[in-house]
Amino acid sequence: MGTEVFSTEFWKAVAPEAILVIGLVLIFVVPNLGNSKFRIPLTKVQIPWFLGGRRFKFTGSPAIPGMLAAATLFTALGMMVIETIDGKMDTTTVTSGETVLLQIDAFSRFFEIIFLAAILLAVMASLDRIPANTFEGKKTLDELYDNRRQADLYILMLTTAVGMCMVALAQDLFVLFVGLELASLATYVLVAFHKESKAGAEAGVKYFIVGSVASGIGLYGLSLLYLEYGSLQLDVLASDWDGSILATIGLGLVLVGFGFKVSAAPFHFAAPDAYAGANSPVAGILATASKAMGMIGLVRVLLVVALPDVDSDGSAIWLYTLATLSVVTMTWGNLAALGSTNPKRMLAYSSVAHAGYMMAALTAVGAWKWGEIEAPVEYAHAIVAAVLFHLFVLVAFKLGAFLVLGLLEMEGGASRLSALSGLARRDPLIGTAMFVFMLSLAGVPPLAGFMSKFLVVSGIVSASIGDLSGSVSFSDLHWIWWLALAMFINSAISVFYYLRIGVVMFLDVPEEGRRKPLPYGASIRMAIWICLVATIIIGLSGDTLIDMCYRAAESLNLG
Amino acid sequence: MLVGGLLILVAGLMAFFPSMNSSGETDWISIPLVGFPIVVSCILLAFASQEKRSRKEIIASPIRLFTLCASLIPLAISTALFFDWLILVDWDLMYNEYALEEEYLWIESIGASWHVGMDGLSFPMVWLTTFLVPVTIVMTWNEKHGATYFPLLLMMGGALIGVFVALDLFLFYVFWELTLIPMFFLILKWGGKDRRYAAQKFFIYTFCASVIMLLGLITLYFLQPESSGSGYGTVTGRTFDMTALFTNARSKNAGDSVFLGKDMQNILFAMLMLGFLVKLPAVPFHTWLPDAHVQAPTGGSMLLAGVMLKMGAYGMLRIPIAIFPDALVFYQDIIMAIGLISLVWGAVVCLGQTNLKRMVAYSSVSHMGVILLGIASMQPIGYAAALFMMFAHGIISPMLFAVCGAFKHHYHSMEIGDMRGMARWSPFLAVYMMFAWMASLGLPLLAGFVAELMVLLAYWPAYGWWILLPGFVLAITAAYYLWSMQRTIFEGGDEGQPPESLKGETPPDITLPENIGMIILAVFTVIFGIFPFIALGMMDQWAVALFEGVFITGGI
Repeated sequence: MGTEVFSTEFWKAVAPEAILVIGLVLIFVVPNLGNSKFRIPLTKVQIPWFLGGRRFKFTGSPAIPGMLAAATLFTALGMMVIETIDGKMDTTTVTSGETVLLQIDAFSRFFEIIFLAAILLAVMASLDRIPANTFEGKKTLDELYDNRRQADLYILMLTTAVGMCMVALAQDLFVLFVGLELASLATYVLVAFHKESKAGAEAGVKYFIVGSVASGIGLYGLSLLYLEYGSLQLDVLASDWDGSILATIGLGLVLVGFGFKVSAAPFHFAAPDAYAGANSPVAGILATASKAMGMIGLVRVLLVVALPDVDSDGSAIWLYTLATLSVVTMTWGNLAALGSTNPKRMLAYSSVAHAGYMMAALTAVGAWKWGEIEAPVEYAHAIVAAVLFHLFVLVAFKLGAFLVLGLLEMEGGASRLSALSGLARRDPLIGTAMFVFMLSLAGVPPLAGFMSKFLVVSGIVSASIGDLSGSVSFSDLHWIWWLALAMFINSAISVFYYLRIGVVMFLDVPEEGRRKPLPYGASIRMAIWICLVATIIIGLSGDTLIDMCYRAAESLNLG
Repeated sequence: MLVGGLLILVAGLMAFFPSMNSSGETDWISIPLVGFPIVVSCILLAFASQEKRSRKEIIASPIRLFTLCASLIPLAISTALFFDWLILVDWDLMYNEYALEEEYLWIESIGASWHVGMDGLSFPMVWLTTFLVPVTIVMTWNEKHGATYFPLLLMMGGALIGVFVALDLFLFYVFWELTLIPMFFLILKWGGKDRRYAAQKFFIYTFCASVIMLLGLITLYFLQPESSGSGYGTVTGRTFDMTALFTNARSKNAGDSVFLGKDMQNILFAMLMLGFLVKLPAVPFHTWLPDAHVQAPTGGSMLLAGVMLKMGAYGMLRIPIAIFPDALVFYQDIIMAIGLISLVWGAVVCLGQTNLKRMVAYSSVSHMGVILLGIASMQPIGYAAALFMMFAHGIISPMLFAVCGAFKHHYHSMEIGDMRGMARWSPFLAVYMMFAWMASLGLPLLAGFVAELMVLLAYWPAYGWWILLPGFVLAITAAYYLWSMQRTIFEGGDEGQPPESLKGETPPDITLPENIGMIILAVFTVIFGIFPFIALGMMDQWAVALFEGVFITGGI
């Protein structure tokens, strides 16, 4: 079904995103509502104007922006879940004249759910991490700072959400790029948000500079693609794709831009600094939602646009490039994580490694399509579904791990491994939750992380086998089988550093100054609990989610 | 406390009312044997973790008593299953037939189901687990931090039973990894001085090997012909069901078409075996075992040596041999060599150990080599022998480690050099030590002897005069055991000098719970030594069925 921009159907289709924008505007407006009046010049007539003046008691509360943001995200997320959960999701395209701008289908909705879920959890954590101090009486300087920047924080969070949703819906690489930049610029500021600490500002600047260079390169790649084909429409590019030299160079440059977002080696250097300097909830957004945003870009460009016909073998380049990149990324990430004693840096490197796993899965789709493997399109769908599953469950356990660190930051910093020591003794449930997240990241059954790794490896192996049966010899398998082996060896390496956190939490004595119980923080604890329950439930029975991922992958129309 | 009591009551009731499956038969495995211990221990752990530290010592005692009762329920059920008390079980099984099968849909999209059942291979191991958990609880009755220690033992038991009853590869792998977690905590929280290192090494070693095994399983999974139907994945079109896989492999191997190419079979066999060999452990993958054992608490060591090592042997007998008999022929000599090297290496290294527990740990490596020899012999009696060795070692080695634990507890040292004249100070401990050592070195009329004799019987037709080598090694075994006894029990007894590690105190004898536990283990060692056919009948039948079902049908 196609609709014109700003028609009635359009508003129906993009209602959740519209709610996000409305919420964004409300956060701008509501805290400014007051009793100001506008006097018509030269008269004594005063018209109530409401913007400014003495704030009303309700709107003057610094807790308003956080509540608004959480409510907005929750509503939008709920609408999307209700829309997709029954599996009868209509595909709606939004056009402007001949140009297809957006497409609302199971695939884009699935990603939007990932984004909004991650940002909602981060917002819930931020309610406690950067609290609004509503109580009466004298406030300290820090508390006043925190109160002053409430609106800024949640405006940035919602802007990130809007930008990411735009990336998910975009059917035109230019629209996609605009959404990407909207989300990126907001995250640059979010990283630098904690300006009292030098690390935060430094991280923000680093992330901004490297990120803008990557975006610039990506944009240059887009311009090359436009030069070659005269359009940036995904379907036009896909049908015209011939793997010419100019287009291949353009594709490579675009990959740099998206590679930065998914923090793939060698474009990952800013990621550990950014994660370590940012607030933990923000770092959690970077590691889950922002990564998923980059992954959309990779899927759209690699699988939708640059999947060549079987007989054009000249452009098989990205198969080998991506395979190499994926192995380098996962190995580099894991080896670097082994040596980092800062838990946030460690999680950042582990996030690099996870990017490598997902890129290996995308490589398998590429191998399928090149005609080297005889297999029906369901195989490709299953692999993409595995990637989607992985991105979804990352929100549960990777973000959960960052939120536990956020809880520790509330009592002063989580940038050393020793900050975690004795956590299981101080608070057994939070310690256990962190241990479960670590085991899940390492891929220990029966947790969600195991299911996702299992599905990704299954996807790769299934693509390497194809529809071979009977007397299969080992040399009949496609070489991407080795990617699966590389992935498992890497996940074996990763156990070292995940387990180290568990040992520190359960064995060591809490360090000086951390003997008291953990700070309370009702909503951050609730967010951690949601993550924990999701990690275990999805691990024990992931069927509903797998089906959802599979439907989302099908709507991508790879065939 | 009230809430906790209620939860315990509910969990207890859950065990006594086994659920009914769709065909109206009672489920005896899923809930009473597997689900009940795991769920109860999780509840207890959650309950105990919320208590203040001072309260934890108070609630330790009721929790200990409750875990003991809870662990007796699976024991009662598994014993009843064996003797046909109340529960009628047809143990007369052909190859790939299972008693008490239960199947529930689980993750339909990939064809994984909750499929459990028992046969002559798994039942002895299940009974052994259900038997060892209460014995371990009694033996380590006075362990510190009991509020979390005893539930962990119970959880360990449930996960281990899960490994042995799983008839679905996915389920098997889930339980396989699940056993790591309670053991990791047992070593980490109750271990010796180097527990940090030992716990991580244990976890990482076995995890690394099992991911390679998992890759082998996944590759095998996708090499099945695509199909649809109950148990087959809606997305993948394959199944993880072992029984379907065995049937498929057997019919393919028997007929003209080959199940898989020869090299494919060999590679997959090697990948699966790697996971099992590390768990077993066989030389050269054994280095995690001495560290884990020396650092682990007594209860952890008893379960680790008693049942957890058998997971490796069980896995070998269950999966790769049944699916890739051709590859077994290909690797026969290599497995035999690994078995011999483990046997010799373990025994020789034992001679040089000064730490008693380390010596016992290496003797386990040596005994696991015997199991590999039984497997490599490719004779029905060899398989029965391997299985009986698993069973006998599962009773004897906990006793060895219990003796070591008693040493540690009463003499505050594990060095053989520190203990002198034990017969004078601790006569009971000396008697148990002598008994356990004799059982382990294969004294006739004790369980270990039967297994070793059977392996040698199977070895002769397969390898001829090479039999002298294991025979010689059994003599070394006798040497290191006797030598260590001589040094600890008898030497220096008359001089009346208590060991230095006691700092002048008079060494005590073992406590009543330890006495009870050791007597139980000793009695069963004698029972299975004199009447091996109690257990051997079922094992023999299984071995013959495997031999006919896999090797004769497969034309090997």
